Amino acid sequence: MKGMVIDMKKKISKRRAVFIVVWLLLIFFLLGAILILKSPPNETESIKEVMKDGVLHDRNKISLFGIIDVNPALISAYVVTAVLLVVAALIRIFAIPKFKYVPGKFQIVIEKLVEFFNDMAHANSPHKTGFISAYIFSAGVYIFFSTLFELLGVQAVTTEGHSIALPAPIADINAAIAMGFMTYTIILLGGIICNGINGGLKVLKDFSLPISMSFRLFGALLSGLLVTELVYYYISLSFVLPVVVGILFTTLHALIQTYVLATLASVFYGEAVEPKKPKEPKRSGKSKQPEAPEESTAA
Amino acid sequence: MPLNIDVVQILLHMLNFVILAGGLTLLLFKPVKKFLDERQKYFADKEKKLAEGLENNENLRAEYEKKLSTVDSEIEEMKLNAKNETAKEAKEYLNNAQEKAAAIISEAESQAEDRKEHILDSAQTEIGELVVEATQKLLETNANPDRTHELYDEFIKSMVRDVQ
Repeated sequence: MKGMVIDMKKKISKRRAVFIVVWLLLIFFLLGAILILKSPPNETESIKEVMKDGVLHDRNKISLFGIIDVNPALISAYVVTAVLLVVAALIRIFAIPKFKYVPGKFQIVIEKLVEFFNDMAHANSPHKTGFISAYIFSAGVYIFFSTLFELLGVQAVTTEGHSIALPAPIADINAAIAMGFMTYTIILLGGIICNGINGGLKVLKDFSLPISMSFRLFGALLSGLLVTELVYYYISLSFVLPVVVGILFTTLHALIQTYVLATLASVFYGEAVEPKKPKEPKRSGKSKQPEAPEESTAA
Repeated sequence: MPLNIDVVQILLHMLNFVILAGGLTLLLFKPVKKFLDERQKYFADKEKKLAEGLENNENLRAEYEKKLSTVDSEIEEMKLNAKNETAKEAKEYLNNAQEKAAAIISEAESQAEDRKEHILDSAQTEIGELVVEATQKLLETNANPDRTHELYDEFIKSMVRDVQ
C-alpha cells in the first residue's frame, strides 16, 4: 500500500511541474505576441531620421571641450584612446615586469595579441616588419576595442540636449577615412623610403586603396550599426534580440574589420617595401653573334 | 561635403590615432616584443647548448666504443710489455747479484791471501825465534867448538847453495 501511495505522489508532482512550465510558457508567449503586435511608440525621431543620423551624423553633435561641435563618434574615439592608453600603462607598469618565461593566463593573452600582429606582419611583409607590425597592432587594437565600445552604450548629451549612446568610432565616415588615408600614407612612405621614387609611384598606382579601405571599414561598421539601430528602434524587439544581434554584429565586425585592415595594410606595405630584383642580363642570340666573327677573324 | 565628411574631424581622428598608436607601441608592443625576443633567444641558446652536449656525448660514446673494441688487444699488449719488463728487471737484478758476488769473492780471496801472508810471516818469525831459542838452548847444553864450526860450515854451504 505504501509503495502505491508514493508512486501516486510522484506522478502528481510530475504533472504539477509540467503544468507550471506550460503555463509560464503560455504567459510569455502571449506577452511576446502583445508586445510584437503593438504599434511603435510615438518617438521624437522617426526610424528614417534615426537611420539617416546613423549614417550621416548630421543632427546629433557633441561639443568637444566647447571648442567645436563634433560627431559623437569622435568623442567615442577619444574615450577609447584614453581607456586603452590607461590600460596599456597599467599593464606596462604592473604586468610586464612580472612576465615569466613560462607564462600565466594573462601573459598568454597579451603575448598572443602581440604575436598575432607581429606574425601577420612577418608573413605579409617579410622584408620590413618593424614599423608595420607596430602599426597594425595599434590599428587592430583600436578598431577591435572601439567597435566593442559600442556595446557599452555610454551615454552622452548632444548640443540639442538629447541623450545618446556613443557609437563605434569607425561607424563615422570621418574616422574610416582617417584610418584609410593614414594607412595609405604609411604604405606610400614605406615605398618611398625603401625603394625611392619608383616605390612611391608603384604605390600611387593603387590610388583606389585609401578609398576602398575607408569605405570598407565604414560600410562594414555602418551595416552593423543600421541593423542594430533598426532592432533598437522597435521597442517590441528590444527584449531579447538586441543582446543577440548587438553582440553578434558588433563582435563579428570588430574581429573581421580588425583582421581585414591589418592584413590589407601589411600586404600592401609588404609589396611597397619589397626590394627590386636585380635585372638578369639578357641572353639572346644577337649578343653572341658579334663574338663569332671576331673569333673567325682572329683565326 | 557629401556624407557629412568633415576635414577637421578627419584630422582630429588622425590625431587621436597617432596618439594611441604611439602610446600603445611604447607601452605595450615594444616591451612585450622585447620580452618575446629575449625568451626566444634564451630557448634558442638552450637548444643549441643541448644539441652541442648531445653531439659531445655522441662523440664520446663513439670514442669509448672504439676503445672498448680495441681494449682486449691493448690488454694483451700491456701484459706482454709487463712480462718483458719483469724479465728485463730480473735479468738486471741477477747480473747485479752476480757482479756483487764476484766482487765479494774477489775481496774475500784478496783478504784470505793477505791473511795467509800475514800468518806465514808471523809463522816464519815465530819459527825463526823458536829456531834461535832452540839453537841457544842447544848451544847452551852442547857447547862444543868443533860442532859449532861444523854447523857454521854447514850453514854457509847451505847459504851458498841457496844463492846458487
